[in-house]
Amino acid sequence: MLYGYGGHILRVDLSRGSTVREKSDPAYLRKAIGGRGLNSWRLHDELPRDVDPLSPENMLLIGVGPLTGSLLSSSAYMTISGRSPLTGILGDSAAGGFFGPELKQAGYDQLVITGRSETPCYLVIADDRVEIRDASHLWGTDLWQATSAIRRELGDNAFQVAAIGPAGENLVKFATVACNNGRMCGRTGMGCLFGSKNLKAVAVRGTHPVTMADPLAFLDLSRELDRRILEHPEWQKRHDLGSPLLMNALNGIGILPTNHFQKGVCDYVDKVSGETLAATHKVKNKSCFNCNIHCSRYYVTREAEAEGPEFETLCSYTSRIGVDDLPFALRMASFLNRMGMDSLSSGETIGWAMECFQRGLLGPEDVDGLDFTWGNKETVEKVLDMIVRREGIGDAFAEGTRSLARRFGRDTEKWALHVKGLDVICGDPRGIKAFGLTYAIASRGADHLRAEPFFELTERYDEAERRWGIRDIADRLSDNGKAVLVEHTERQALLTDCMTMCKNIGLSMDVLDFEFAARLLRAGTGLDFTPERMNNGLRGIIDADRRLNIDLGIDASMDTLPYRFTDEPLEEGPSRGQVVPVKKMVKEYYELRGWGPDGTPPSK
Amino acid sequence: MIVIHPELCSGCERCQVNCSFFHTGSVGRSRSRVKVVKIEELGIDYPVICRQCEERYCTRCPESALQVGPLGQIVASPTLCTACGTCETLCPIGAIELYNDIPYVCDLCGGDPRCVAQCNMGAVEYVPEETETVSLAPFKKESRGLSPEEKRVRFALDRTREMREAWKASVGE
Repeated sequence: MLYGYGGHILRVDLSRGSTVREKSDPAYLRKAIGGRGLNSWRLHDELPRDVDPLSPENMLLIGVGPLTGSLLSSSAYMTISGRSPLTGILGDSAAGGFFGPELKQAGYDQLVITGRSETPCYLVIADDRVEIRDASHLWGTDLWQATSAIRRELGDNAFQVAAIGPAGENLVKFATVACNNGRMCGRTGMGCLFGSKNLKAVAVRGTHPVTMADPLAFLDLSRELDRRILEHPEWQKRHDLGSPLLMNALNGIGILPTNHFQKGVCDYVDKVSGETLAATHKVKNKSCFNCNIHCSRYYVTREAEAEGPEFETLCSYTSRIGVDDLPFALRMASFLNRMGMDSLSSGETIGWAMECFQRGLLGPEDVDGLDFTWGNKETVEKVLDMIVRREGIGDAFAEGTRSLARRFGRDTEKWALHVKGLDVICGDPRGIKAFGLTYAIASRGADHLRAEPFFELTERYDEAERRWGIRDIADRLSDNGKAVLVEHTERQALLTDCMTMCKNIGLSMDVLDFEFAARLLRAGTGLDFTPERMNNGLRGIIDADRRLNIDLGIDASMDTLPYRFTDEPLEEGPSRGQVVPVKKMVKEYYELRGWGPDGTPPSK
Repeated sequence: MIVIHPELCSGCERCQVNCSFFHTGSVGRSRSRVKVVKIEELGIDYPVICRQCEERYCTRCPESALQVGPLGQIVASPTLCTACGTCETLCPIGAIELYNDIPYVCDLCGGDPRCVAQCNMGAVEYVPEETETVSLAPFKKESRGLSPEEKRVRFALDRTREMREAWKASVGE
């Protein structure tokens, strides 16, 4: 018996309407561990390299891991992967909530969905019973309506539903997939991939308990991790505020994106901070599966109520675009969730347009008469609606910032803040150098979560010395040794994704080391995971991602950052005068990764 | 009995996870004796667990397999139970449910409920002196034909009404 794992792969061909349940191959699982790693290997091994992202041949994968849905705190995540419609390279996005654990209880490690249904459909998985059902009547409904309608239709509120909204149906390139209405697979347009397959949702219900190889050893390890989390110095703040705590935290070190990264300090941060959100609109804590931090929040305003928002959404719809109105941002967050559209990428199209207006590179005549002055809420609201419906200029915005800027050309491309087509997250890399390197090399584009080198923000100098022999690693403004840190935390981040834990816990809070993770995986699966074997596996996955991306068209010249971050020093605040020496750092990173000077990994 | 405070519940399901693990060594909703209902669009998370109700509907078991124990908990006899499902049908709130022919209902873990111990939100509380103080008669009406999950949703909606009213009042609606 395969412990921990669900034990099956479900292959669904929506063109033929066929479903095949295969047994998982233990050797493959050992190599891939699970979750994102499992998806990465599957894409590497099976994705046709010339596939159009929106064609039926593109693969849509949903993966979980051996510890998903277990006693382990925050073992909640699932990863959706495929060739990204937004970037054209490796696309994946993970979310917590309750879908992943349910998929495991239904007996699966991975869903492999290909083809395209002729008419809108949704996939129903109840243990080994799989059915493709008509979704014509659900097409056009928002994400929340779709979720509750499906549960009603199936007569069971305990179904977990991963669904798209109108943005995904209309093939907005940065459409999202959500489970539990608010836990978003936000990045790289996995919702667009759903839409291209005419797939409105996947609904899953499982009744098989998750069984570990050595339950008592696993219990002890889980309790040890619970303790590490509860005793962590950041527990209270994370519990009270969740990720919006970063509004004030990043502002304090001068890296809070303000007016599209023109500034790193926002003078109205108190109006839109995590503290203000918690004090004024939060009514209770929310949580993903089996977490003991409960960092998420439910908010209620006169105009909207929902779970969230997380920091990236909050910042994208406040300081990043010059808005100082918290209830407005909350209303936009809830709109984006219902429509199934990513806040970061949509927010970047708006920030880019505002910057171009300020510089006189674009005017109302270019954009259907809209006025993209900083903080113009009316325009924000209007353009979001146009993007969802691909109406007028919204159709161009729906292609993402890179494509949008290419369309206008002139000097506007300089201000499109993306790497490899994926929009930069809300953290100015000029004041956090390891993050800068991470955005440059991350396999899905400008992303922090691929390595989340949070350590550089901790000022734990002695710890840095002890672990890596380089004190500067704990200094956020230094670039010295940051490639070493990123090489390390990239593996740690991947491990966290493979174990389908929350990255706040597995990575940022630094409570999960390789030795401890190996013990968890051994107790969970009974397979002989060791730190060394695991690390070889993780390096193998990182290399496989790179090989796939090279096949899909990237090269070393794309491992860089937008002009602003490399050549335009921040003018004020605690990160004043800083830029990212990205070339030097990328070179160091290649060497540590064992890649050639052209960023090519050794062949398999 | 176990008292639920929905305004404190984050919906993490740690009660459910630990209930299942403590009793069966594995983790799954079907093997848990407390089941968390989630109604996301209303912000509702509500663990449904035996209320030790005044009526004790489930004890009208045709085989007398269900008895009230010394702590007020329901004790199920595996030898007498024929898995007929009467208890599941009779319970108005879906707090007892069969899985693989075994009725799953809260047994208070012998007086030290694991769900309470593992809830660090204070949403699940054990109040030993309270038993048979809740009447489920209002929920009995029109519960015929509903699945346990449907009954749980109905109960959760009712028990969170005050919470939702307080939220609305807080924003001045």
